[in-house]
Amino acid sequence: MEQREFLKIIQSCRRRMNIAGFLEESVSALSIGAGIGILFQAAAFLTPLYYVNIYIGLTLLLAEMSVLAVMLIRRTTMEQAALVMDGFGFEERIVTAYEHLDQEGTLIELQREDAMKELSAHRNRIQISVLPSWKKIGLCLSLFVLLTGLSFIPSVVKERAAELHNLKEEVKKKEDEIEEMVEALEQLKQEKLTRQQQETLSEMAESLESSLSEYRQAVSQEMLEAASQKLDYKYEIMSDQLSEIMRDIEGGASISLATADALKAMEDKMKELNKMKPSKEDGTGQGQGSSGEGNNGDGSGQGNQDGSGSADDGDGQGDGGNGQGDGNGQDGEGGAENGRGTGSSNTPHDYVSVPNAIADSGNLTGNATNHDTSEYFRAQTGLSWEGTHTSYDAVIGSYEQNAYEGIAAGRYPSGMEEIIKEYFASFD
Amino acid sequence: MDALDRSRLQDPAYMAQRIAACEKEIQKGMIGQGEIIRQVMQVMLTGGNVLLEGMPGLGKTRLVSTIGKVFDLSFKRIQFTPDLMPSDVTGTNIIIKNEQGSSFSFERGPVFANLILADEINRATPKTQSALLEAMQEHTVTVGNDSHALEEPFFVLATQNPIENEGTYPLPEAQLDRFMFKILVRFPSKEELKGIVALTEGGKAPVIEKQMDGEGLLAARALVNQIPIADAVMDYLLEIVMETHVPNPYIRVGASPRAAQALIRAAKAKAFLEGRFNVSFQDVKEAAYPVLRHRIIPGFDAVSKGITEDDIIKNILDAKSALIQKI
Repeated sequence: MEQREFLKIIQSCRRRMNIAGFLEESVSALSIGAGIGILFQAAAFLTPLYYVNIYIGLTLLLAEMSVLAVMLIRRTTMEQAALVMDGFGFEERIVTAYEHLDQEGTLIELQREDAMKELSAHRNRIQISVLPSWKKIGLCLSLFVLLTGLSFIPSVVKERAAELHNLKEEVKKKEDEIEEMVEALEQLKQEKLTRQQQETLSEMAESLESSLSEYRQAVSQEMLEAASQKLDYKYEIMSDQLSEIMRDIEGGASISLATADALKAMEDKMKELNKMKPSKEDGTGQGQGSSGEGNNGDGSGQGNQDGSGSADDGDGQGDGGNGQGDGNGQDGEGGAENGRGTGSSNTPHDYVSVPNAIADSGNLTGNATNHDTSEYFRAQTGLSWEGTHTSYDAVIGSYEQNAYEGIAAGRYPSGMEEIIKEYFASFD
Repeated sequence: MDALDRSRLQDPAYMAQRIAACEKEIQKGMIGQGEIIRQVMQVMLTGGNVLLEGMPGLGKTRLVSTIGKVFDLSFKRIQFTPDLMPSDVTGTNIIIKNEQGSSFSFERGPVFANLILADEINRATPKTQSALLEAMQEHTVTVGNDSHALEEPFFVLATQNPIENEGTYPLPEAQLDRFMFKILVRFPSKEELKGIVALTEGGKAPVIEKQMDGEGLLAARALVNQIPIADAVMDYLLEIVMETHVPNPYIRVGASPRAAQALIRAAKAKAFLEGRFNVSFQDVKEAAYPVLRHRIIPGFDAVSKGITEDDIIKNILDAKSALIQKI
């Protein structure tokens, strides 16, 4: 055997050892990764983890990359390969010969010859397995099967995770939108506007900030929808207010052209956002007067602009800006005629909730609160939302109960008990 | 048997054959002591000395005399007793009177031989023991102001009885360290004993033939010294020695650096005896017991639990072998 062939054999074994080492470590790392993945999947049954599959994928990738890095650093050397070959009954002949390849001497050469002769005669003894042990492979496969199985098992928490994810996406979009609007409003406030206009803009900004906060607190689709409806409503109001400011400008208010343009742009933007709302085709056309006005103090409002309905013969509803305008529309267009409003003021305000309001309908008769004699349905008229109200008595009752419990527990200073009792008694 | 071909003294393969023939020849005169013969041969091939511990009558003297015959070396036996003086071992200056007058002349002691059997070395006083130990280590004898070189090859095979301790002077650790190997001579099995009895009492003693001479032995030693050793094997060997210094309740004092040197030489000699020209892990493992057992001082825990030096060495070797298998 020549020295070249001797080295070639060692090199070949080294390559096999590197592959074997990589596969062995890979299987171990993937098993660990799959184990962590199972923990992730188990956690996904307890807490909403929308990106659980991505986390698992990243864990497995990280495990594999770590193995690759480790194996690159700890590559098998020729000496190690020779030593492993010696383990197949060569009694360290090969490693000794390899380490003394560049040395000369009778004994060294004799040893080299002896090593090559032995290797040549018993080369078939060297059996370096590339595949990892079957136990490890079996364990790894089992873990992966378990992991895959777990990922396909549906659960309420998983659905909730998906819901929350969609919610977050929606919230983020809305946040960006609101922040953009708030920034624009803040920018407008820098311009020369009247004090009233400035205040209006500040209130609009505050109102939007409030909506932003609602969005951020939204943890369910219902909350998101409620916040969206409120925001839409606010947009509508703000659009009206901006229109009003624009009218002032047209009436000769002394503001810069740039401010006027910005105001116009804001108004257009709000209208545009409002139009983007999806309409429901339920056979009842809903027309919302975009700038319904309520008269101060008289409790009546008028939808003075047209709403548009999508269904023939539908009833159009026009919302008074600060109140509620209900109007009978024709052919899907309504809100302009016979508008009735319950608003009390046109002062800018946040969302107002009116429980038990019902839609106007020619088919409805009787009293809305008398279920025996009336047919009624609840509709979202722009001012009423189901499930967001707590009765006054319930609130007072709750506070009263807490107060009395506090008195019983001695939480209040002496002398205050009677005052508290009198205070709550005054409500009765 | 062919005479030693002096032109081939530098030929490792030839010399390995001759040494193997020597071992075989020694085995003709000794029954059932193959391992001891192998270990003694290892020491002879590395220029060390051997301490044999065992009961009397196990063939120690026969072993040395047989080796002497096979290697054609001079052989002396010294029976150590409490009243043995250093000069009884080394020799002394005596006054010579002749026509020219009187003068001092050095009279060589029994230590001036190639093979020395120091029987029951622990019965002599430390002073006498140290006289021999100087000869063992330095291969010289100092009497008065003169140092006298000993004949090469020089090889001491000392014995001590493990049972009778009364009236003995146990060799201190520093002096034990001078012995390359401590070999435990165990009682032969029934079959071996039968062979021994047949050999000695049968009336037909085998003829032991010379296979080598002192020059050949020295040449073989030089060859053994040149045997290459792989880094991994060297690391393994050194780790074994270092492991005796790791805090261990069973070890009071670990092996000296001389142990590492002895271990390398012994492993090389074993490989040579097997006709190999490289050292294997197995060579080191097998050499570890006789090299380390007298260099490790067991701690109180080991003594109280009856754990021997060999048990401690076995534990170390097992731990290190596990590391090798992981490579």
